[in-house]
Amino acid sequence: MSRHLPALLFLVPLFAAISMPIVCLRHRAWSRSIALSVLCSMVVFSIMNLVNIFQYGEIRYAFSGWPPPLGIEWVADGLASVVLVALSLLGLVTLIFAGSTSPKDLGGRIVHYYTLILLLISALTGIVFAGDLFNLFVFLEVAALASYALVGVAGGKALMAAFRYLILGTLGASLYLLGVSYFYAATGTLNMADMAEQLPHLLTSKAVLGGLLFMFLGLGIKMALVPFHAWLPDAYTHAPDSVSPILAALVTKVALLGWVRVMFWVLGIKVAVDDTPVLLLVGLLGSLAAVIGAVLALTQQDLKRMFAYGGISHIGIILIGVSQGNQTGFVGGVFYLLNDAVMQASLFFIAGVAISLYGVYTIEDVGRIAKQSPLLTSALVIAAMGMIGLPPTGGFFGKWYIILGALEANNYVAVGAVLLSTMLTLAYFVRIFERVFRHAPTLPDARPIEIPIQMKLSVGFTSMAIIVLGLLSDPIVGLLIDHTLPPGL
Amino acid sequence: MVEVFAAIFERPNFLTFVIIFLWGFYIMVTRYNLVKKLVGMYLVQTSVIFFLVSISAKKGATVPILLSPTASVQAIDYVNPLPHVMTLTAIVVGVATLGVALALCSAIYRTYGSLDEEEILKKLE
Repeated sequence: MSRHLPALLFLVPLFAAISMPIVCLRHRAWSRSIALSVLCSMVVFSIMNLVNIFQYGEIRYAFSGWPPPLGIEWVADGLASVVLVALSLLGLVTLIFAGSTSPKDLGGRIVHYYTLILLLISALTGIVFAGDLFNLFVFLEVAALASYALVGVAGGKALMAAFRYLILGTLGASLYLLGVSYFYAATGTLNMADMAEQLPHLLTSKAVLGGLLFMFLGLGIKMALVPFHAWLPDAYTHAPDSVSPILAALVTKVALLGWVRVMFWVLGIKVAVDDTPVLLLVGLLGSLAAVIGAVLALTQQDLKRMFAYGGISHIGIILIGVSQGNQTGFVGGVFYLLNDAVMQASLFFIAGVAISLYGVYTIEDVGRIAKQSPLLTSALVIAAMGMIGLPPTGGFFGKWYIILGALEANNYVAVGAVLLSTMLTLAYFVRIFERVFRHAPTLPDARPIEIPIQMKLSVGFTSMAIIVLGLLSDPIVGLLIDHTLPPGL
Repeated sequence: MVEVFAAIFERPNFLTFVIIFLWGFYIMVTRYNLVKKLVGMYLVQTSVIFFLVSISAKKGATVPILLSPTASVQAIDYVNPLPHVMTLTAIVVGVATLGVALALCSAIYRTYGSLDEEEILKKLE
């Protein structure tokens, strides 16, 4: 049974997504309970899978029994299992949140929404587990298609944002596929493990260098790395409130995970392809993204848009971590990835509550929340502490290990970039808190609005998770060092 | 300089790929009509598929079905089927993308009454 868990984790949401439009043709209300039960079972399965893999080591699952270089392979190792637990938990929390906002902000398209969410989650599971480069492409595209549709599901302003996202995302996918075909032309295989054995003899080849460049461009667009981030702010700002948390928390991070797979599991580390120091360049681009994203966030007025730019800057910080070429930095990067997923979900939940209950769209109006809802304000404070990186939260420990890793690698540019982006993050949250705590609310006589229980649950869960990840950072980082490191690091 | 050009013209398939790719990219960037943008996007996707097919072409080989069940298999007689399978999958992905894109286009047209990007942006403000 436990041997088949990786396949089950992918197939359960996929089949639920495929059958949902048929099953829910007559009974639209069933879609929510189906989606919730699928996500609950995924949480259970993914935790079982994690325990199993930490105990007995990685599972290489060959579909239909065809052995790896020919058949399709699932690689369920420590990194994949850890990310999968975060993925299914955050998916479940988003669905709980959606219960309170969904019929209104989705324009009544409930069945569409739950079908697409399940499709998105199964495709993200596929990206996390994929053992060959071409399947990674297919799942990237399935996830991207589900996200385009999710952004545009409610119509209105979001349609144009979804269209732009689609154009850029497809360009990224084509570039990635081009990179894969270069690699295929050079090695004659698509399986990651098989390719990793052949590539060391081919590192002087221009085809490998070109393929790597195209793959990086493609995945860079998908993970919204800074020069290619143009699609993200619009898409996340205009997406319905029950959609943007899951997009912000998961989609870009899982694309980044795909790049980590290519960089460490296919190419191997300490690699200079045709004398080009790949890790160093990726780290530099990450530093750039961390700083520029934070600067752009500082200039925003719209709440959701500011959080979206914050997410762009944090993608840069994660990239800095994983590209230091030592254990501390890599584990810091992975730990920060988990934290960032939780923090982004939390921020967009808060923005969703602020928009749907209080009509607060911009930073100017944030003062209204403070008067009416101490709960939401404290959640915002916790999320801000995490984003800035203050001690009891997980964000602090993630940044701490990333900086330690950068110091170990004598990479002072990276250290500077992390510190600078921390300062800028502090600056833009100070702007929010100035409004929250100093300015008198604009509508003093508004009666308090009861926050629905689903919103309380989801905001509470993510705030708790930010603190708990910080308090338990020592054992978690220990486990990550034991189980998630790439071969040879 | 001459050798560079000679090397390029020795591989006309690569040249064709580059031309189609850049042509599609140019259309995507310069046109304001959303459907024309999609035409450019589809050209970019098709160029990558063309590249995949062209690197797997093999002279004097046949489809990967055994010529005789008893004789030993000579790899040189058969075309490698994997790139073609990848191509098929990539085509399916491309069609799905185009489908979603056209659905979005029609929704945009129903909402804004136009497919011209500039007009839509004016109406958005």
